[in-house]
Amino acid sequence: MTITTIDAMILDRLHAILDEDGAVLTNKSSRFNRARVPAPFPVHRWEEFIPDVVVLPRTTEHVAQIVRLANEFAIPIVPRAGGTGLADGAVPMRGGIVVDIKRMDQIKEIDLVNNTVTVGPGINMQTLNRSLKPHGVIYPDDPASYACALVGGRIGTSGLSLLGARYGHTRDLVISFEIVTPTGEVIEVGDGGGRKIRKSSTGYHLKHLFMGHQGTLGIVTEATLELVPRAEAEFAAFFLFEDYDTAYRTFANLAKSGLATLGGVMMFDPEKVDYLRRDDEAYIIQPEWVKAVCAASLFGTKIEVEAAAPKVMELGRSLGGRYIGDEIASGDWAARHDRYANPLHGRDKNGNVTPMSWHCEDAAIPYSEVPAVLRKWHTIARKYCDQYDIFDDWGAFQYTNGAHKPWADVLVEIDMGLWEDRMDEESWQAFVSLKREIAQVAIDHGGSMSSCHGATRAGDAELVPTEMGASWEVMKTIKRALDPNNVMNPGKQSLDEAYRKVTR
Amino acid sequence: MTSDEHPPTDAAVGLGTPKRLGEAEQSFVDTWHENATGCFSSGHKFCREVCPVTQVTRNENHTPTAFHSNVIALEKGHLDVEDVADDYVHCTQCGGCEVRCPNTLMVGDFYRARTQTVKVVRAMRALMVDKGLDRENWKIWNRLTNELKNEPVLGVTGDQPNGQAQVRDWAQGLDIPIGGDTILFVDCEAAYYRTSIPRATAQILQLAGYEFGLMNEQWCCGGPAAEMGYVEQSMRFARHNIDDWRKSDVKRIIAIEPHDYVHFTEDYPSYFGDEFDFEVVQIIDLVAELIRDGRLKLTTPIERVVTYHDPCRLNKRKGIHEAPREILRAIPGLTFKDVDRVTQWSYCSGGGGGLPIEKPEITAEISRRRLEKAAELQVDTLVSACVWSERPLSAAGDDIGIDVKDIIELVAESAGIEIGGRTRP
Repeated sequence: MTITTIDAMILDRLHAILDEDGAVLTNKSSRFNRARVPAPFPVHRWEEFIPDVVVLPRTTEHVAQIVRLANEFAIPIVPRAGGTGLADGAVPMRGGIVVDIKRMDQIKEIDLVNNTVTVGPGINMQTLNRSLKPHGVIYPDDPASYACALVGGRIGTSGLSLLGARYGHTRDLVISFEIVTPTGEVIEVGDGGGRKIRKSSTGYHLKHLFMGHQGTLGIVTEATLELVPRAEAEFAAFFLFEDYDTAYRTFANLAKSGLATLGGVMMFDPEKVDYLRRDDEAYIIQPEWVKAVCAASLFGTKIEVEAAAPKVMELGRSLGGRYIGDEIASGDWAARHDRYANPLHGRDKNGNVTPMSWHCEDAAIPYSEVPAVLRKWHTIARKYCDQYDIFDDWGAFQYTNGAHKPWADVLVEIDMGLWEDRMDEESWQAFVSLKREIAQVAIDHGGSMSSCHGATRAGDAELVPTEMGASWEVMKTIKRALDPNNVMNPGKQSLDEAYRKVTR
Repeated sequence: MTSDEHPPTDAAVGLGTPKRLGEAEQSFVDTWHENATGCFSSGHKFCREVCPVTQVTRNENHTPTAFHSNVIALEKGHLDVEDVADDYVHCTQCGGCEVRCPNTLMVGDFYRARTQTVKVVRAMRALMVDKGLDRENWKIWNRLTNELKNEPVLGVTGDQPNGQAQVRDWAQGLDIPIGGDTILFVDCEAAYYRTSIPRATAQILQLAGYEFGLMNEQWCCGGPAAEMGYVEQSMRFARHNIDDWRKSDVKRIIAIEPHDYVHFTEDYPSYFGDEFDFEVVQIIDLVAELIRDGRLKLTTPIERVVTYHDPCRLNKRKGIHEAPREILRAIPGLTFKDVDRVTQWSYCSGGGGGLPIEKPEITAEISRRRLEKAAELQVDTLVSACVWSERPLSAAGDDIGIDVKDIIELVAESAGIEIGGRTRP
């Protein structure tokens, strides 16, 4: 086990590396504010997740020297970008050094000839796109957290873009990146070599090894990203259904349409519609018969989108779906990021309104398995709601998961409300076991327990070996080889197992 | 997360054991718990990238999220006021975080609910003053304000001509009466530093035949004191001013400055309740109306290529963004390159909330970035409507050759007025 020993000598070394006022932070507010990511959080145990020191580097060389220092003295080191991840990836489990990379937010090169932009990992996508706008291009990584997530965190979690069907997800849109490995070497990883090369047949494709590393294999210090032409036209249509099954089949018809401009297909299940109806202030009233919603978006040139839009309307209505109307369709789609905010209240068992935090459990599920998974998930949710009066089932939504191939696997998320003010150790453990049961269902049905959040929060983390199966051994071998002292974000994804002595 | 794997740490600063709260802290926590929970329990941080201070410092301590999170940490006894005092200095009280908060956006339309961050910052600063943890430069500023009855905008050292004796010097030769139904309230920065603005304002109103007077004895509005946490001083100054208005039977106050407008429409009513029955008019709304009604004719072409800086307190705090655009479009000769008000949620001059007094280097950098945005539009002039923004913006503009003008100055020029006064000492 890694032991934290941050003493005056280490702090002196950090000060010498960074040589800037306010770049090495040991005060309590700096540390408490970097102990958490979005809720829920075991706030009754906040003090267990406090880093000993926070550093704010500006350059790759800074990061490399800090990592070498941590490795030399076996000090835990945790990279932190936006801190907006939903799976505690950036939460330090064992104190140590938090490397907050927000100051590495420069745009280093806009290459309009090769359609790339090279940035520091601390830049936000919306901010980046404002700078790209005059050039007629966009970096189309579009998560719900578009306004706050940072490029480094997107790589760390291998995020999902709401426009992924059209433009790809983070791993498709990041062409190559520079990463400081756990022993402090600076390497560039892509498909093969070449910072701006999108496809290679040379060597191992290391980009994919480090993509979604959850801070366990290093700290990203620079990334070269895809630039695509700004869409001339955008179209979104929402359809209303009397039952889940018709909406589910319509989802497939849209996803399998073969329309190249398809940005994504989304749907809400009856529990989600119920929840919006009862507790969402921003919900625009729909008739009582509405039990499910399915929506699709298109992005591209005017000539493509105008031709494809009637096809979306036809498919959306083909099984009896009713179009919601232009105003709500365009408004709801435009609000896709802000709708990330759920109402901050839910209901207790007696239907009383209670203040609640939002938790979102994601998984990637084969299309054929989605209805069965959702039935099991809601059964599990109901069990916990009955047993602990601090949970509320806020319904599920699904989203096309495959980059450029929207027709098969599906991102499925169930939203749960948690009465966090009432959280104690017993209910926290109940939450963890709720998560574990939900994750196990995903694995049982041939899915992956996380499509985009990461399997780093308790409840998921224990199941990583199960999901990885025989390849878990390879994963441990890689981790041990790259991080011999287990300094890089230790305690995540059950990777401590890589360091356990084997008895023969 | 599992707890059993966390070994004891040997941190440079110990975490200590959770403390019991004192009375003042308990009251602060009780007041702000629910508001803070709304943020803490989601933790989206949509506010971070619009926050002008965070854009510069890139330090999570300075984010609105941290300001709310600290309330919870205080409540749990993990942090105390001293631990967080410096963090809460890093705020211009622009309100960008509040309008960008998804909680505000998604429930605000329906319930007029708004995540409150500016008030949290002000309440924390008041706690800091109570505990003697207020910042040194703020202490000096507010002590001098207390002595002079106006802010020491011309400098905090040596003798400066900015006391009560000089409070109406800007109006020399304009023949403005004392008292009347309507009072022109002239902000300290405008009265002593950028005197061209009150002169332009007064002459526009005179030209349009709009009657107004000045106060018997105008003290600082008290707003800056409130922003920095000196609540008692703020209330005392407010009391003086409304007594002065009452003495002259005043009905209407024209606020020529957005900070004053916020203070008169939010703080004064909260200090005085029903006793505060004055009508408060923002000069931009009034001038737009005078132009619209044909009472003010803009005939002199202003051959400038301009963009407009939405002052935070007008746009983000009070939702005033149409009137200034209407005014600019009415000025002949002007080429106006607009940037929409929502994009400008993330723009600021850094001139508010006491930031330039305590952290001038951050203010300067915020202004530099604002001028950089203006330069991308290839304009020769940045137009603002807030005198407090114009000092740091002008300094940044000087460096890249962009003029900074007040919208009222442009209106006056276009109305053929010889303004007089000065834009800097």
